[in-house]
Amino acid sequence: MLFLLIIVTCLILQFFLPWWIIGIITFLFASWISKGAFQAFCSGFLALFTLWVGMGLVHSIPNNHLLAGRIGQMLTLPGQNYNWMIVLFITGLIGGLVAGFSALAGFYCRKAFERSTK
Amino acid sequence: MKVAKAITSVVIALSLLILLNTKFGSIPPLAKFLDPFHGFWKNAESKTKPKKENLKLAGLRDKVEILFDEQMIPHIFAKNNYDLYYAQGYITAKDRLWQLDFQTRYASGRLSEVVGSKAIELDRYQRRMGMVYGAENTLLKMERSPQIKEMIEAYADGINAYIHSLKPADYPIEFKILDYQPEDWKPINSAFLLKIMSATLTGGSDQFYMSNILNKYGIDVVKELFPNYPFGEDPIIPKGTKWDFKPINIPQPPTNAPEGTVYHQTTKQIDEGIGSNNWALSGKKTVSGYPMLANDPHLNLSLPSIWYQIQTISNDVNAYGVSLPGSPGIIIGFNTNIAWGVTNVGAAVMDWYRIRFKDDSKKEYWYNNQWNPTKPRMETITVRGGKTIIDTVYYTHHGPVVYTDNLQPKNFSKCDNIPTGHALRWIAHDPSNDIETFYLLNRARNYTDYRAALTHYTAPAQNFIFASVDNDIAITPSGYFPLKWNQQGKFLMDGCDPLNDWHGRVPADQNPTVKNPPRNFVSSANQRPTDATYPYYLNWEFAGYERAHRINNRLSVMTRANVDSLRNLQNDNYSIWAENVLPTLLQAIDPKSLNQTEAKGFELLKKWDKYFTAESIAASIAEMWQKMLDKATWSDKFDIPNMPMRYPSKDKLVELLLREPNSKWFDNTKTPQRETRDDIIRTSYRLTIDTLQRKYGPISQQWTWGNVKHTNVPHLAKITGFGSKFLNIGGSKLSINALNESNGPSWRMIVALGKQVKAYGIFPGGESGNPGSFYYDDMIDTWSNGKLNELVYLKSKDEPCKQIIAKWEMSRK
Repeated sequence: MLFLLIIVTCLILQFFLPWWIIGIITFLFASWISKGAFQAFCSGFLALFTLWVGMGLVHSIPNNHLLAGRIGQMLTLPGQNYNWMIVLFITGLIGGLVAGFSALAGFYCRKAFERSTK
Repeated sequence: MKVAKAITSVVIALSLLILLNTKFGSIPPLAKFLDPFHGFWKNAESKTKPKKENLKLAGLRDKVEILFDEQMIPHIFAKNNYDLYYAQGYITAKDRLWQLDFQTRYASGRLSEVVGSKAIELDRYQRRMGMVYGAENTLLKMERSPQIKEMIEAYADGINAYIHSLKPADYPIEFKILDYQPEDWKPINSAFLLKIMSATLTGGSDQFYMSNILNKYGIDVVKELFPNYPFGEDPIIPKGTKWDFKPINIPQPPTNAPEGTVYHQTTKQIDEGIGSNNWALSGKKTVSGYPMLANDPHLNLSLPSIWYQIQTISNDVNAYGVSLPGSPGIIIGFNTNIAWGVTNVGAAVMDWYRIRFKDDSKKEYWYNNQWNPTKPRMETITVRGGKTIIDTVYYTHHGPVVYTDNLQPKNFSKCDNIPTGHALRWIAHDPSNDIETFYLLNRARNYTDYRAALTHYTAPAQNFIFASVDNDIAITPSGYFPLKWNQQGKFLMDGCDPLNDWHGRVPADQNPTVKNPPRNFVSSANQRPTDATYPYYLNWEFAGYERAHRINNRLSVMTRANVDSLRNLQNDNYSIWAENVLPTLLQAIDPKSLNQTEAKGFELLKKWDKYFTAESIAASIAEMWQKMLDKATWSDKFDIPNMPMRYPSKDKLVELLLREPNSKWFDNTKTPQRETRDDIIRTSYRLTIDTLQRKYGPISQQWTWGNVKHTNVPHLAKITGFGSKFLNIGGSKLSINALNESNGPSWRMIVALGKQVKAYGIFPGGESGNPGSFYYDDMIDTWSNGKLNELVYLKSKDEPCKQIIAKWEMSRK
């Protein structure tokens, strides 16, 4: 559920807002419906990993991965013909980490809030 | 505990957000860069382009249509010139926005604003060389011509209309990597572009080395080794052509000898020759009976491509050719009636004058027997993430004093050949309206129009070649040539003496020119423009005669020429240098004295056809041998610590090799015995083979010339991965196909005039400046294979044409 909410909202809002909106969205959703630290982190991470890899592919497939390959060379990544995959993976990883840690922060904030209201 | 966890996790998440949104050194803000909604992925272009687009643009006066051919080359149909250059600006920005921005920043000394402190010395250098001062002067002159003012303003309006249509996600990828935004284009930026061309093509000076040589060895050695007239010659204006003008008075040199100061900067060998060629054949020599014209300007190659192909059509023009991003109009091209092209002249238009300041305040300097005030000019350099620098440059009537002793940077190679405490007199500082020349050439119909267009041209001086459908051919080395006494400016000059000043100019109509010569062709290859009968001094040294000689040899025997014969000539890898010296070099070697590798190399050289092809191993050996010979002959005399000097020209060494086997110059002064030519040949041959062997192992495929030369086209900002692949191709500095590692033909064009003009062209790159586009380097294979594309020259926007793949309509908002 959390995964779906994050991925759909981010997909829509990212068209209009800068990349860091993903941190805010995952934080808010996680502080609302997350079940545990691990679940929150994984939902955030997987949602953004999937979204960014998917969106990267949307741009990169019609491009025959020409540009991603050049970026791979720029970053001196190994794998002559496949370095675009590493670039794509790093993209997913970065998006995932931001979202994962934001979700985690959302979860812990809710926990902290619950105690103070008890 | 829970609060602590909450706070810690929020801090981690926030730090991650901030960290990934920040630029560290040359690493872009990572998440911002990788975000597939706004980052670099957005620059990955699809191979398929929309067939039709409609744009509403503010400022346009009428409807404009742009047709794109298979290389995505735009063919602009406008109804008036304002709209034409507006559309050229818009479409150039669409393809080359970052290149436009970067070139302007480079020329105007504003790179530190975006890349930070590492560019400070470069920015300071450009400012102190007077690039901004020169561009300001040029803009004033351009604005005085109503049609050029409208042209550069329309071009700026078009570029800005495109910039304003962009969201950050649409910015070219380099903006995302360097993390900055495009700024509005100003008409002065077109002047900056011309200043870059001047700096590239006329910015060299070796007066400083020549003065040291004069001090060390005296005038007789200078006369012998650095003569005013070369050993091999084949001037642009054929020998014996009569000058049909009465020359004006030549100024007198001062009587006192040049001074004896020694200059102590570290040296940088100036690269000889640039490599551009052009020629035009009269209809008597072509299969069609109409003239043909060929041009291949050579520059330091880069991606995005230096040139941008375009066809421009409005009420009074239909021209096709290449433009320089940043300048409206077409620089090299053709229309229905004429074709034109350029190569560099290499005239002496940059001189250095020693300045005597009254005191350290630098407020006054001695000139014409009195103290004269200097004009200080403040240059403000903004530095990203650093303190703003205010640099004061003192201007004399000569020009700016580029470096004074305490300001000369130590580890900055660009200023190695700048003498400190000297003022710079440079043609690039003068007001000029060079764009007018191109504006008029784009519209020229005949020889008279061509001559009229050239009167506006100042710098960088070019050999303008011309052919018309009326069967006229011509070539004119054009530009502002300062009126000088013989060899004025060969050495550094005393800035106090008015006799050392430039004395006005050679009248424009007395620039060398030739029309329809008896040999039925005209040509140039950066060599000396005239024989010794020309009354004015242009320079003491030009590029060697080898390429020109080869061109003229081939053209003089050519009959019934067609496109392929000219294309083959453009791709000619034959070396006149090798033809001249190889027999002499080989006779000195005793095959019995050689080891196995040396003997194998010797055999290859003996069998070599003297073509610098990619597969040739002999070519690699010959090229290295030439370098080693140069060093072996001159190093002991001219590589002296703390006294930077240069070597005599390649031609001088050829002359000594061929004619003076016992010349004292072959003696290595560092050894007790006396060496002769043949000793130098033998030791340098061993060294050549040894050097190649150490680098490439035993003789194998590794030794082939294509591999040793290693041609590639790098990215303009040298971003790894954005340059071309390695190109295994032939060519050499002294061949017509003058191709080095990454200096070579930046555009090859052949125009066959006739009832229907037909033209062919190629450049090493593509129309798009986006490394994520299929059109970024789609022409590079055709170029490296020595082929040309037939150019699509449209007469009307409605004519059926299979090559047109997309159409844009622009109308006013």
